[in-house]
Amino acid sequence: MATLRFNSLTGTLEKNPTSSFSSNPRLSWAYFQCNNKGERRASRMTVKAMGAAKYKGTQMREKKLTEMIEKKVTEAKQVCEGDETSDECKVAWDEVEEVSQAKADLRLRLEIEKKDPLESFCEENPETEECKIYED
Amino acid sequence: MAVCPVYTTQSLNSTCSISTPSKTHFSSHHNHLVFYRTSKRTSKRGGSSSCVITCSAGDSQTVVIGLAADSGCGKSTFMRRLTSVFGGAAEPPKGGNPDSNTLISDMTTVICLDDYHSLDRTGRKEKGVTALDPRANDFDLMYEQVKAIKSGIAVDKPIYNHVTGLLDPPELIKPPKILVIEGLHPMFDERVRDLLDFSIYLDISNEVKFAWKIQRDMAERGHSLESIKASIEARKPDFDAFIDPQKQYADAVIEVLPTQLIPDDNEGKVLRVRLIMKEGVEHFSPVYLFDEGSTISWIPCGRKLTCSYPGIKFSYGPDTYFGHEVSVLEMDGQFDRLDELIYVESHLSNLSTKFYGEVTQQMLKHADFPGSNNGTGLFQTIVGLKIRDLYEQITASKTAAPLQATKA
Repeated sequence: MATLRFNSLTGTLEKNPTSSFSSNPRLSWAYFQCNNKGERRASRMTVKAMGAAKYKGTQMREKKLTEMIEKKVTEAKQVCEGDETSDECKVAWDEVEEVSQAKADLRLRLEIEKKDPLESFCEENPETEECKIYED
Repeated sequence: MAVCPVYTTQSLNSTCSISTPSKTHFSSHHNHLVFYRTSKRTSKRGGSSSCVITCSAGDSQTVVIGLAADSGCGKSTFMRRLTSVFGGAAEPPKGGNPDSNTLISDMTTVICLDDYHSLDRTGRKEKGVTALDPRANDFDLMYEQVKAIKSGIAVDKPIYNHVTGLLDPPELIKPPKILVIEGLHPMFDERVRDLLDFSIYLDISNEVKFAWKIQRDMAERGHSLESIKASIEARKPDFDAFIDPQKQYADAVIEVLPTQLIPDDNEGKVLRVRLIMKEGVEHFSPVYLFDEGSTISWIPCGRKLTCSYPGIKFSYGPDTYFGHEVSVLEMDGQFDRLDELIYVESHLSNLSTKFYGEVTQQMLKHADFPGSNNGTGLFQTIVGLKIRDLYEQITASKTAAPLQATKA
């Protein structure tokens, strides 16, 4: 299996949002630190609240995807402990990718469309649980 | 809906003029006869004449575009830029499944090929196959439905729900003017490939993919550099075996690489982007710099244009790609200001723009999209204009509206 070569990242990774072309609201400030296990983890300075989430259904989806990412990363690490090249290991990391992308898509959609994805659904079905207005 | 262009012919002693074009909703399979009476009486013969307009809408086909990308479905910025070139915003189908992956605008419908998964998340886990594996996808259904839509027949397409990992009840897809199929395998099956009028492959290099996924995932609880790296590596064998080989079939490849302008850059923010355009594709004329077919290296920054670090560098030239003749246009660096963008646009040729500055205008319209200041946004916009040009050429050659003037 080909290994991915990369230069070790410096201790600080800063996002510079001063492009005169655009301000990208979805970037959050993150920097890397080594924790006591020697693993690099990101510390979140501020996490931008996800765009225009208005309905409970969207908030529930966000929450579910966040939990799934965490859960599936843990599962993948466990499954791959035995054999990194096994099918089970591949599938486990593929699931991590799927839910990570789904969460990113939701985030991007909220920011670009600037309205809740459930907007038109909730116009038709305002009485459902999903369509309750989300209060922070 | 088919728009029927109407031509007037002049026959002996009578003129048939149509003052206001009328748009009627034709179903794709029927020929319609429209009788149109002129208001004026003809002078010489003394009788009124009527014009018969025949519209053959039966063979107006949907133009089908394939886009291979590993970056999620239907919500990608490429699709939004493309639909924006045609005008109007692409939105999910109103009132349907809120987890639908489909995007619809006036002219285009974008469907996500994940909807053709034959195995849902549980099924794939049981069988030990990733989503990248052809065994997880129903190519027969993909082919049947794309073929049907192309010939003007609406289909009930399944929905793959990325949140639940299940296959949801189908949604109705009506034939649009332009159908875009986006996903991991648009060019995998030969029958589907043959249905495509144009195909694009988005080729992200490993280093850039890693940098992008870091940007995407590092803020998520549960992710770390290690998990992001492990995920990419675990998917790589299937990606190399099943997805990557499709690029040889693409009419245009957008290759995204780390910049060469900054030594040892690994942040993946400044990018080197190559637009590889196949020669000899019907209705597609590659973009070029200065002199078509020659080899050019161009740094626009200098006396007339001041750029900030690291600047911009272009190159253009012929090449071969998997045995095909291609032209490659490459941009390394970033746009910092509007005037840099318009300067570059004014030196590119064969852009298929309808007016000077259209590329810049499109880029500005979506300045908040990722890639708006580099070659990814630029080349995606240019490919969008090329697709518009291709669409117009195809539909011009297909519409036939003979007009016969008859005497009353």
